[in-house]
Amino acid sequence: MFARVLEKLMKQRVTWIAAFVVIAIIVPGGFAKAFSAAPPSPEQGATEVMPPSPGLTSPDLAPLSQGPLARSPDESPNNCFKCHANLPGPHGGIASKWDASVHGRAGIACADCHGGNPETDEMILAMSPEAGFIGVPPRRDIPALCGGCHSDVERMRQFNIPTDQLPKYQESVHGVKLAQGDIRVAICTDCHGSHDVLKASDPNAAVSPYNVPYLCAKCHSDEALMEPYGLPTDQLDIYEKSVHGEALLGRKDIRAPSCASCHGSHAAKPPTSDEVVNVCGKCHTATQKLYEESLHARIGDAAPKCWTCHGTHDIIKPSEDNFLHPEPLVDQPCGECHVDDTTFRMEAARFESPEDRRCDTCHHPTSWVMTQIKAMKNALVEAQEAYQAAEDAIQDAAARGMIVNDAEVLLTEAHTSIIRARAVVHTTKLTRVTELTDDAKEAAIKARDLADTKLADNLFRRRAMVVVIGIIAINIVGLIALKYQLNRHSEGS
Amino acid sequence: MNDQVIDRPTSLAQRVIDWMDERYELRSLLDAMLHVYVPREAKTFYLGGITLFLFFMQASSGILLTLYYQPTPDTAYNSVLFITSDVSFGWLIRSVHAWGANLMIVACVLHLLRVFFQGAYKRPREITWVLGVFLLFITLGFGFTGYLLPWDQRAFWATTVGTESAGAVPVIGDFLLNFIRGGATVSDVTLTRFFGIHTLVLPVSLAAVLLVHIVLIHQHGLANPKKPAGQVKPDEEPGIPFFPHYILDEAIAWYIVLAVLVILASLFPAGLEAKANPLETPAHIKPEWYFLSLYQFLKLVPRTVGVLTPVAAAPLLILLPFLDRNPEVAPAKRPRMIAAGVLLLLAITILTVWGHFS
Ligand code: HEM
Repeated sequence: MFARVLEKLMKQRVTWIAAFVVIAIIVPGGFAKAFSAAPPSPEQGATEVMPPSPGLTSPDLAPLSQGPLARSPDESPNNCFKCHANLPGPHGGIASKWDASVHGRAGIACADCHGGNPETDEMILAMSPEAGFIGVPPRRDIPALCGGCHSDVERMRQFNIPTDQLPKYQESVHGVKLAQGDIRVAICTDCHGSHDVLKASDPNAAVSPYNVPYLCAKCHSDEALMEPYGLPTDQLDIYEKSVHGEALLGRKDIRAPSCASCHGSHAAKPPTSDEVVNVCGKCHTATQKLYEESLHARIGDAAPKCWTCHGTHDIIKPSEDNFLHPEPLVDQPCGECHVDDTTFRMEAARFESPEDRRCDTCHHPTSWVMTQIKAMKNALVEAQEAYQAAEDAIQDAAARGMIVNDAEVLLTEAHTSIIRARAVVHTTKLTRVTELTDDAKEAAIKARDLADTKLADNLFRRRAMVVVIGIIAINIVGLIALKYQLNRHSEGS
Repeated sequence: MNDQVIDRPTSLAQRVIDWMDERYELRSLLDAMLHVYVPREAKTFYLGGITLFLFFMQASSGILLTLYYQPTPDTAYNSVLFITSDVSFGWLIRSVHAWGANLMIVACVLHLLRVFFQGAYKRPREITWVLGVFLLFITLGFGFTGYLLPWDQRAFWATTVGTESAGAVPVIGDFLLNFIRGGATVSDVTLTRFFGIHTLVLPVSLAAVLLVHIVLIHQHGLANPKKPAGQVKPDEEPGIPFFPHYILDEAIAWYIVLAVLVILASLFPAGLEAKANPLETPAHIKPEWYFLSLYQFLKLVPRTVGVLTPVAAAPLLILLPFLDRNPEVAPAKRPRMIAAGVLLLLAITILTVWGHFS
């Protein structure tokens, strides 16, 4: 009997699997219990407490200290900190700053940058050249010192931060100049701090996006410092007033670009003419695509780029005024635009003044292109006017207490079409623009009609109200007359 | 009287009345109702009557609104939008209802103040006062429940903060909040619940209490604001005939209120904000003006105190005629009561204004 049941069970694969699962759960659990009292083997202990540091396996990558970069205050004493924390003045401050910094928290200690021996509490020994003490590292050596750890992929992986800062820096204008021996240029510590390094994502960090413009300006607004390089010092003032500056610094809109967004941070360099479209396109993706459809994009170096019309640090909100000079340019000398008959002069200086960032700076007033430009401008202006008229009428109706939801929906539609039409100007194709401005005008006119109907309705209500009040007044007068009659009647009787 | 009837050929109307009278003795009923006298000194300012008129207006405009209104979160907003912009004269009905609600509360409170300052709540009119306070609470209940029904942002969030205060009542707060909202938040359940209360529970309650209120007034006649009830000698009465003299004045008052209502509804029609969105809290949430003093008070004092004060004050207001044993009615003869009333009124006014500007 038992054997038959067993046989039946064995035949069922499900039973096998179940049995396997049960064994798999019970057996290791039991083993673990059985061995839990035994001390861990030396190998086990080592892997748990001290993961082998890459610094150990390739000591040549580590900057100064040879040991693992891990602060373990209980085991290896950090006597530098102990002494310095108790010192008055800046020396003590250094210790507490470091303690609160990202390095302090990650256990990157004094000796890792300054050398010396933190294990001894003898000051002379701790800071002796024999112990590798170097004092303040020279500015020239700082990038390599920081890069010693920060270029180490293994070491940086746990923090999920890039490791290409050093090569980028070496490519940057700052890095190149430093390599040439110019120690006035920015090095790691100028932007990130030294003892008080914070994470870049920390809003208090000097390198957090909201602070970057002021950080760069610390040097770049310094006339004495910039004079030898022939660099202007008014970028921050100009940027602050730009759409980007207002958004980032004024409205705290984190999506807006800081200096680093266009120039790069570690690889800081001004974008070149053939890079600028990609630089702006990082954020203005849709506009870049539209621009690339244009004739402008196809004529290479001679073509206007984003900054030709919009400027750089001083970008302001574009409008229909950006198409043409208020007064048409007449009698321009040929040399103004052409080097010879065929080559254009596109150097940045020609477009430095916002006044000159207009289509007619380049396009002849009598050209066919100019008729297209004018038509484009007119289409946008008309759409904008229709929109404005509709908005006024809607506001008027709303102020009179009318419900304008339906008209507002149409108005939003018109607005969207106008925004799209303005973007499509970058294709330089008139029909693409007019398609959208026509949509905008149509929606705006419908919205306005609706608002006008509501205004007419409101007028009717007011007139009807006067009539009704008149009727009520007549009734009241009638009742008062009745009252007098009654009073006289009751006095008489 | 019969002789006259015989003398003249009877009109159709006369015959209908006679026919009815023969069967139901209507004339004597009407006589009993109408042929009463109002003391010459009585000054009601027609406020009770105006409140009554506004209740009629609310009932009739409200019934018209329910023809189109749909009490579900998906449709409520659009049905109100439809009433306001598509139904012919829908805007008028809705605006009259919205303004009428405000005016009714104003009139009701002024009526209460009139009764209070004239001492008209005293013996034998204690129950009339008690019922009156209930009428005021029901009227405020109308305002509170009605405010949610358009289901726009203002409605939703005002109700959210309004019901929130119920949660601060000690011990039963959570239960109370859940009971009013029908759940943890203002939702579809709250909407149906408020609709039911607004269109069924409250109108029936108000009508019932009002009926007794008015029957009692009829039984007592209006109070004399100069002398306590016991000192009015029967031969000083009767004063002005209730019908047609007093009724005529009342009718003029009603017409004036109607005109005010028409002007307000035409020049400042009821609006509608964006549809309620539980995920988007607007910047400034405030309850209706008649709850502002309470709201401001809640902000100033600890929550429990803020909630318990009105809970404790309500019975005091209801039981006022039994607590105030001074039989005098003339304000000069009951200075402490008048001072207390003025102070309370001042406090409520200041809190309301403060709440409005904060
Ligand atoms: C829906 C609300 C109310 C309605 C429709 C209403 C209606 C009336 C009416 C028509 C009168 C006749 C005198 C007059 O017109 O002033 C009256 C009298 C009176 N009401 Fe009200 N009332 C309401 C609320 C209240 C409230 C809130 C109170 C007080 C808490 C109150 C207390 C009284 C008293 C005591 C009288 C008798 C006054 C006297 O004899 O002079 N009523 N009410």
